[in-house]
This record gives sequence, structure tokens and C-alpha cells, in this order.
Amino acid sequence: MVNWFYIPLQGIINGLLTGALYALIGMGMALIFGVMRIVNFAHGAFLMMGMYATYVVFQATGVSPYYEFPLAGILLFFVGYATYMGLLRPIRGQVDFMVILLTMGLALVLTDGAQLVFGADYHQINIPLLSRNIHLGSQISINAPWLVSFAIAMALAGALYWVVTHTMFGRAARAIAQNPYAAPLMGINVNRVQAVAFGIGSAAAGISGALLLPVFYLFPEVGNQFKLKSFVMVVLGGMGSIQGAAIAGLVLGVVESLTSLYWGNEWALAVDFVLFILVLSLKPSGIFGSQRA
Amino acid sequence: MRKWQLLIAAVFLLAALFVPLFGLTDYTLQILFRVFLFAALGLAWNLVGGYAGQLSLGHAAYFGVGAYGLALFSKLGISPWAAVLLGVVLAMICAAMIGSVSFRLRGPYFALCTIAFAEVLRLVAKNLPNVTGGDVGVQVPLLFAHSPVRSFYWSVVLLTAFALGLSAWIERSRFGYYLMAIREDQDTALSVGVNAARCKLWALLISAAITGLGGALYASMFLFIVPDQVLPMEISTEIAIVAMLGGAGTLIGPLVGSVLLESAAEIFKNVFKEANLLIYGVLIIVVVLFMPEGIVGTFTRKLALFKKAPAVPFAAPVPATIEAESERAALNE
Amino acid sequence: MSLLEVKRVSKRFGGLKAINDVSFSVKPSEVTFIVGPNGAGKTTLFNLITSIFHVDSGSINFDGRDITHLTPNGAAQIGIGRTFQLVKPLRNLTVLENVMLGAFLRTSSRAKAEKEATKVLSFLQMEKVMHLPARGMGLPTLKRLEIARALATQPKLILLDEVVAGLPTSEAIKLAMLLKRLPEWGISTIGGIEHVMQVVMRVADRVIVLDHGTLIAEGVPQDVVHRPEVIEAYLGSKYKEIAL
Repeated sequence: MVNWFYIPLQGIINGLLTGALYALIGMGMALIFGVMRIVNFAHGAFLMMGMYATYVVFQATGVSPYYEFPLAGILLFFVGYATYMGLLRPIRGQVDFMVILLTMGLALVLTDGAQLVFGADYHQINIPLLSRNIHLGSQISINAPWLVSFAIAMALAGALYWVVTHTMFGRAARAIAQNPYAAPLMGINVNRVQAVAFGIGSAAAGISGALLLPVFYLFPEVGNQFKLKSFVMVVLGGMGSIQGAAIAGLVLGVVESLTSLYWGNEWALAVDFVLFILVLSLKPSGIFGSQRA
Repeated sequence: MRKWQLLIAAVFLLAALFVPLFGLTDYTLQILFRVFLFAALGLAWNLVGGYAGQLSLGHAAYFGVGAYGLALFSKLGISPWAAVLLGVVLAMICAAMIGSVSFRLRGPYFALCTIAFAEVLRLVAKNLPNVTGGDVGVQVPLLFAHSPVRSFYWSVVLLTAFALGLSAWIERSRFGYYLMAIREDQDTALSVGVNAARCKLWALLISAAITGLGGALYASMFLFIVPDQVLPMEISTEIAIVAMLGGAGTLIGPLVGSVLLESAAEIFKNVFKEANLLIYGVLIIVVVLFMPEGIVGTFTRKLALFKKAPAVPFAAPVPATIEAESERAALNE
Repeated sequence: MSLLEVKRVSKRFGGLKAINDVSFSVKPSEVTFIVGPNGAGKTTLFNLITSIFHVDSGSINFDGRDITHLTPNGAAQIGIGRTFQLVKPLRNLTVLENVMLGAFLRTSSRAKAEKEATKVLSFLQMEKVMHLPARGMGLPTLKRLEIARALATQPKLILLDEVVAGLPTSEAIKLAMLLKRLPEWGISTIGGIEHVMQVVMRVADRVIVLDHGTLIAEGVPQDVVHRPEVIEAYLGSKYKEIAL
């Protein structure tokens, strides 16, 4: 009598924990897409870079990724900023696809580069926290690392939201997102704001990689699935809305978790895409969007 | 300019037909098979992505459906070539369904939607082993019993020629015009009576048919397929890359793109070994940065600069009001 | 016998009532101008007639058929041509090719489309620029290009949104004289104009005045511009000399 409630509840809780991480990745992508209309195919590769960077530092110093993640963030901020300034800015005027193509090329370079440096094998790390579980009552158990990553991800998501709504940068970014022609006329240095936005978005991906390290296998193509999931989140969330992407991340986490529970792991990704297609057909502006797609 | 492109391509393809007679190894012929397969796929993609301007990143769906169509219909006892036909028809049906949802979306949303559909198909193929063999795979009948490697090679050269001829015909027709208008400004096209939805759908149906046929040929050559071989995003992106880098919206762009990129990929594999993908990625970045209209696009533009300047200058008349100035400013981005 | 009948049409966007219970009709081979200050609803009305938006209430009849719920391309197919306020040329094509796009509505032959487009461009005195890319053209040429493209679809009714806005007065009047000849070709014209009254006075058979989505006056130009409610709607000294 008790299982029909507790099993899905566990599923939902697990889903929210994973979803928080998804939300962070998705918000990064949403920021970039919202401000620049760029679908960044290198987003997953940036996550992978953050993950490898944290791995290297962990192997060298033994410091937990949950303390090291800011390093991944800083590294990827600069990588993102440089990518925008060096590669994306020169081709801003070109057709959408060429920009996407460039990010695809970049992803290839980064992924193969990682394979050259670290090899194609799967790595994983072990931290003491991994064996700790927190119990809520007798039926629900939460693996400690996920709780920590949930907390950090939610805090960062909140911080990002605050930056976007309360700082000059955020206002400039939103202005560019609404009207890229009028924004420079208002004195906004579009290139700099976009570069910073790209940097922040990439940093979010990098930090997510760091947070993922304790609980996931590390290998060069690890970023692929997260890249695809962030596409789904951006669309679900609507028109590059950051809050939308965050909520979409949580929704995605829960939906995947429940799907895995009742139909098996292999269908989780498929359900993501089915959800994606459903939202696109019924409400193209996204669950939280209000304009035409 | 166009006539030259067509002429060069025709000569090239004709010459290509004679190539196997020079005693090349099967291995080399297989590489050339890939070159022409992706040329044909790129040309097919070009109808939707180049002329109509709809960036599809899910063409692997049609490729895979063509491949699986051949495999699965043959398993039911249908003769191989009939199975190929059914596979192509099935690919077109998929295109109709995918298009009806995706074409309502614009720009990057369209691209993401196509990715989603292709991924769903891949995951369905993986997760229904009773139907598709799942990750274990499924056998594919051999379409050409007599000197198979050469025959497959010839079949893709002919497919490329067909796709090229079709593109050339479409480019000059009203249909082609409409596609290009949709690409440039869909609202303007609607205002002159273009049924944009119907045009885009037709372009996709034709594109899917050729792509599905390519998929069937590919599958038959390998005699065995798994979902991650014929339905992954890598195939979709390779098709799009070949067409875009060669020159989306040009006539022979995809052909040039495939010849150069597939050969480069092969050379990189031998020269750079494990770093080959990295170099390939760098190549993509370099081409996008320096030839953003694609190889053929940039080439034709540079060539046009050598022509005589037109008699009437481009200078705009002096505007009488500020409105004119701002309207022109809005026009000029 | 009306060509176009707009009956009690209303449209609101969120809280804003853009078109409020507007009714009017247009006869074949006539030149009508809809005038009104910026924001009066002229473009919205055009969008409703060509089904870019759908009406909330009311009906629109064209040539006897109910066209209240059509598609934008459907409107062109049944004979309603349209230009846009912000010109939208197909930049990478030549002027001639731009106009051929319109001509293709009535023929699938490239040769015939070219012939028709050339004919239209000659009427608009654009022979010299026919083979130049649309990209480099100045505003007056682009405005004529818009009209040419719409004319090439062989419409019975053509909607011209702010067709002379931004043009120097001399250009505007030249264009207006050309437009005055459209009825000879059997085309009825509805122009939407904000303030270039010299054009309206010279060319229009009838004038309809819109203010904040409501039709406030209708009639012959000389008559309408003197009405107090019209002058009040504009509240501009521009029209003082006409009112006197």
C-alpha cells in the first residue's frame, strides 16, 4: 500500500536532484541563445572541458569537486569569452547555419583534443561523500553528492537569475535579446555584452561538468547528451528565457527519472525528445514563452 | 556561371564512371563510394537547406529509414529492390510527418525539431530489438550480386548525377524560385501567393526520397546495420556540413564539398591518425571563417567581381526626409 | 457592385482595440485612400484583409466571396495584391527577378513570367534598373519594386501601405500619377497614408479616415479633409492650408 506512493516519490526526488544540474546547463544555453540567437553546439564540449579540468585538479590536489567548481567556471568563462571574440564575432553577420557549423567544428576540436590528451577510456573519481546517503523516513534515500550538487546548482541558478534581472549587464543582455538593432543605439557595447554572456553561459556548462564529476563517468563524448538536453530545455523554456530553461530542467529531470523507473533507462532520452516535439507542435513559444517562435 | 558549373560537374561525373576500370583496390573504391554517396546526400539536402533555406539537422532520419526499410521489408520476404522502393516511400512518409510539424517553426527552432525527430527514430530503433534488431543489428540483402563494389560505386555516381540534374531543373523552375523566395523572406513570398508550407513540404519529400535511396544503398553495401550507424546525428551533421561548406544554395556546392571534405577526412585519417577529427574540426572552422558562403559560393562571388561594373551606379538618391534615411538604414543590414 | 466589402470588423491585440467596428466598401477600378495618424490602424486593416491576422468579429467579402478566414497566400491567389510599409526586396535577386516572383503566380513558365514582369516594370518606368541586384537600390526604386511585384500577380485589388512615405515630394507625386492610371488596368487601389496629402488630393476617388481604429469620416477628398473631426484627429498645422 505504501509503495505506490514512495516509489514514484523517490523517482520525483531523484528527478529534481538531477534536474537542478540540467537547469544549470540549460540556463547557460538559454542565456547564449536568448542574447545571441546562437545554438551553441559546443556547449556539451564546454561541459566536458569543465569536467576534465576538475578531474585533473582533483587528481593533483585531492580537493573535492564541490569546492573546486569555481575554477571550472572561471576557466570556461575565459574560453567562452575568447571563443566569442575570436571565432563568433567575425562571422556574426552570416547565416545562422554557418555559425552553428562553426560551433560544431569547435566541438569536434575540443572533443578530439580531449581524447588525444586523456585517452578514450572512461574515468571516474571516488570521494568519501559518495557513500553517504541521507534518509527521509524509511522509504526515501538521497545520495549525498546529488544533494550537494542540487544545492550548488540551485544557488548558482538563483545567482544567474539575479545577475540577469538586477545588474546593468543583465539589463543590457535583455535589451539586446529584445531588439538587437535598437540596443547599440542606446549606447550598449553589444560585442562586449555578448562576449560576457557567452562566457557566463559557457561557465555554467563548465561548472555543471565539475558538479557532474563525482556521480558520472568521464569520457570525451560525455557532453553530447547534455548538449541535446539543453536544446530541449531552451525550447521547452521558451524563447531563450532563463527562468523557463531552469524550470524545464527540473521538469526534464523528473520526467526522465519517472520514465526510467517505469519503462527503463533507455527510453529516458527518447521521452525528452518526444516532450520536445509535443511542446513545439502545441505551443512553439515554449511552456513559458509568450511570443511566436 | 551556372552553365559552367553544370558542365564541369557533368564532365567530372562522366569521368568518375570510368574510374573503376583503372584497377583500383576495393578499399579505394569504398572511399570513393562514400565521396559520391555524400555528394548525392548533400545535393538532396541542398533542396531543403540550401534553396529553401531550412536548416535540417535530422536528415539521418530519412537515411536510416531507407536503410532499415530495405532490411526489414526484405526480412518479410519482399524482393530486395521492391524493399528499396518501399523504404524510399516510407522515408517520404516520415518526411511528410516531420515536415508538417517542423516547418511551422523558423530558424534554429526548425533545426532543433529535426534533430529531435531523428533522435527519436534512432532511439526507437535501438529500443525495439524485436522489430529492428536493436543494437545487435539486422542483416541487409545484397542488391548487386555481380562485382558488388564497382556496382555500388556506379550506383552512387548515378544517384549523384540524378540529384544534380534534378537540382539544375528545379533551380530554373518556378518551384525553385519559390523556394528561394521562401528562404529570402517568407512573408514576402506569402504576399505574392506562394504556398510556403506546400513548397517546403515538396522540397523535403524529394530530398527525403533521394536520401532514403542513399541509405538503402549504403546499408546494402555493408550487408549489416545498427541504429548508431545509420541514424546518428553524426550522419545528419556530415550531410549538412558537406553541403554548407561546399556552398548551400549553389548548384554544385555539395558535390565540391563532398569531394573535398570526404577526401580530406580520409587523408587526415592516414596522416594524423588519432588527431584526424581535431584537424577536421579545424578545417571546418577555417572554412567557415574565410569562406562563409561555402567554397563554391565564395568562388562565384570573387569571380563576379572580375566582371565589368554595371553602367548605372548604385548610388542612392539624396533622401528628403529622415524617414527615408532610417528606412534605408533598416534595409541595409 | 462592390469589389471589397468590409463589414463591422473588429480586432484587438491584448488590451488594445486596434480596429473598432469598421465598415466600408470599395468599388472595382477605383482609387481609395485610407488616411489617419500613425497608429490609426491602417496596416492592421490591411493585415486583416489579407488574412495575416484574423478578425475577432465582422466579415470581409471580396468579389462576392467570403474571405474573412483565408491564408496570406490565398489572398494573393484570389486577386488581392499587397505592398508593405517596410519594403522587403529579395536582396540577392535582381529587380526583374523580384518582380518575376509575383508574375509566377499566374504562370509557371519562366519566359512568360519574365515577359509579364518586364511589362510591369516598363509601366513603372523602371527599365533602366531591371537587371541590377535589388540589394543596392535606393528607396524610391524599392518602393516601385514593391508595387511592381504586387502588380505582377495581376490583382483586382491592390493594397499599398504607406506607398510614398519617405520619398521626396517630387518622387511621391510622380508615383501618385502612375497610381492614378491603375484603374485603367482594371485594378482597384486602396492606399494607406499617414500624411502626404498632396498625393491623396490628386489621386483619390474616395477617402476614408481612421482614428484609433475607428472610421470617423468617408467621402470625396475635398469634402473629407474639411470636416472638423478629421482635422481634430490630426491636430496638425500641416493641414491648415487645406482646411482654409
